[in-house]
Amino acid sequence: MSLKVAIVGCGQIADGHLEQLQKLGTARVTAVCDREPLMAEQLASRYGIPRFYADFDELLERERPDVVHVTTPPQSHRALALRAMDCGCHVYVEKPFAPTTADARAILEHADKLGRKITIGYTYAYDPPAVDLMEMVAKGLVGEPLHVESFYGYDLQGSYGTAIFGKPGHWVHDLPGALLRNNIDHLLNKITPFMPDERPAIQAMGWVRRERRYGDRRDAAHDELRVVLRGEKVSAYATFSAHARPVAHFVRVYGTKNTVHADFVSRTVTLGRGSRLPSAIGRLAIGFAQALEQLRAATRNAARFARSEFQFFAGLERLMTLYYRSILEGTPPPIPHRDILRVSEWADRIIGQLAGSSDDP
Amino acid sequence: MKLLVTGSNGFLGAALVRRLCERGERRVVRCLHRPGSDLGRLAAVRAAHPDARLELLVGDLTSPEDCARAIEDVDLVYHGAAALRGAAADMFLNTVVASRNLLEAVVGAARPIRVVLVSSFAVYGMAGVAEGATVTEETPLEPHPERRDLYSHVKRRQEQLFWEYRERHGLPLTVLRPGVIYGPSGPAMSNRVGLSLFGVFLHLGRRNLLPLTYVDNCADALVAAAESPAAVGEVYNVVDDDLPTARQYLERYRREVEPQRVLSLPLFATRLMSRAVAWYHQHSRGQLPAIFTPYKTDSMWRSFRYDNRKLKSIGWRPAVETGEGLRRTFASLRASRGSGR
Repeated sequence: MSLKVAIVGCGQIADGHLEQLQKLGTARVTAVCDREPLMAEQLASRYGIPRFYADFDELLERERPDVVHVTTPPQSHRALALRAMDCGCHVYVEKPFAPTTADARAILEHADKLGRKITIGYTYAYDPPAVDLMEMVAKGLVGEPLHVESFYGYDLQGSYGTAIFGKPGHWVHDLPGALLRNNIDHLLNKITPFMPDERPAIQAMGWVRRERRYGDRRDAAHDELRVVLRGEKVSAYATFSAHARPVAHFVRVYGTKNTVHADFVSRTVTLGRGSRLPSAIGRLAIGFAQALEQLRAATRNAARFARSEFQFFAGLERLMTLYYRSILEGTPPPIPHRDILRVSEWADRIIGQLAGSSDDP
Repeated sequence: MKLLVTGSNGFLGAALVRRLCERGERRVVRCLHRPGSDLGRLAAVRAAHPDARLELLVGDLTSPEDCARAIEDVDLVYHGAAALRGAAADMFLNTVVASRNLLEAVVGAARPIRVVLVSSFAVYGMAGVAEGATVTEETPLEPHPERRDLYSHVKRRQEQLFWEYRERHGLPLTVLRPGVIYGPSGPAMSNRVGLSLFGVFLHLGRRNLLPLTYVDNCADALVAAAESPAAVGEVYNVVDDDLPTARQYLERYRREVEPQRVLSLPLFATRLMSRAVAWYHQHSRGQLPAIFTPYKTDSMWRSFRYDNRKLKSIGWRPAVETGEGLRRTFASLRASRGSGR
């Protein structure tokens, strides 16, 4: 059985959604919508979608979709998600879920009330390294997690960075926390699985490192962020950097037994163990053991490549598969509401601290 | 009255502003540029022509208000602004949506505004044209822009939009379709010559003629079109005389700018490779991008002839000969490489 799907918001990320939806087998996209009809038209024409709309209500009325993917700027997520749920749709909301936790809560409560399934686009949490990492932790290879390092590097010259800084009117600059708020979910949603706390202690610092060249509000967007979080049993560092090179993206979990490093760029997951051999021999052996870990991870990737499983949007595909399965089988959606809310609340607190801080070191 | 140049700090836009200065344009030339953009090219024009009546205006065509401001007191628009790269949504936004906003402002103005659009050769449906045929203004437009490339798709839709406005509002429009625009500070290598891949230059154009137009000649074509009453409602291809082949271009480039490791592929090999790449893209569910497909190959790397007689009929002549244009271009490329830029 396949579900009837519509996409609202025909910007850059909608391409990724369409590409994966067309591979899924359990979804058929019948229409796309953007309040700018030329944007809706271009997306429909590039992906062979039968119809496009500039009016969301008209789309809901005529298409009667089972699922709506909301890929508009977050400022409109609440209104669109609620409207779609009222028309009987399940809703996939892109990150950031909503500009504030109050909006996020309103969406989730509405879903609970009407029995609709909601997910958020935490795609990296479903990328192969994240999946492998969670498996290793579940097997007890790490022991008890003590500390998590979540690092998200960003390229201001990349396609998103260029679009965001191309215009002072870009919606990212309207978000509280601007560029940081648009990316912070990627940092925090890799910490929440290890930190069950509702309200960890949080210390955040953010600043602008690049040269201020625009003379408008784009210059104010922080491009570096450091956060320390401390829960009851687990602590964490979260780093966002637009300047560290190479652009890194990883999560590192320090456990009572071993430390595991999941790298989202190379898509390798490696376990750091201490040596069992004594003195200089032990120190010598560790290097080889580490090299072997890397080799094993790289070989695994090569095998995935050979099986055509080394896809750019692997995480998006997996998340969508799980989400659509939850709809078809009537099981809970893959991401618990509580985690969506915790990420949102922590993000609000972090951005709130930055708003009051000075840029001076 | 004033005239407006959009994309005025671009490669062609700045050359157009400079040519207008050199020709002693009497109207104020309003140069629209995006907020925060680097104005190096326009600054150089201004420095060379301190007495020219240039008016720099900050604005973004994706804003209807900025479009309305841009066309105030204007009786002629040269629309050269377009996205050359970026994600698909961004390219459509900055080229097609931007054009629609500009067109709305133009047709909403109290007086008629003459519009000259910089379109592109990329709008022609070359895959359906017989090898060796001459590309004219009558050559059919790309029927499958989605199979070609993003730039073609975007430019095709943009041009269609202008014709729609001409039909609906009687817009006094002329469309120019330049081939490959080249010149100092422009791009070094057209894809029609080949592509750099893993440190090797894949030479795919070989004996095909390159539809070059020197940036100043192309700017002159825009002016000729704007000044000719006969050009209203017409399309003109813009290519120079004495076109070199891709091989001649590459050989000169290697001699005068930098040596390159080159792998030269004949058309049948490029086609085979395209088929393999397209097959793998399909088979692997998009694990590697389909940078080559038979459709793209047939559009880009087959041999055609080019014709500029229609453009010459409104008085245009290429002021800079191709040999001299190449000499200037390669000298500038060599200098910028030498200075580490």
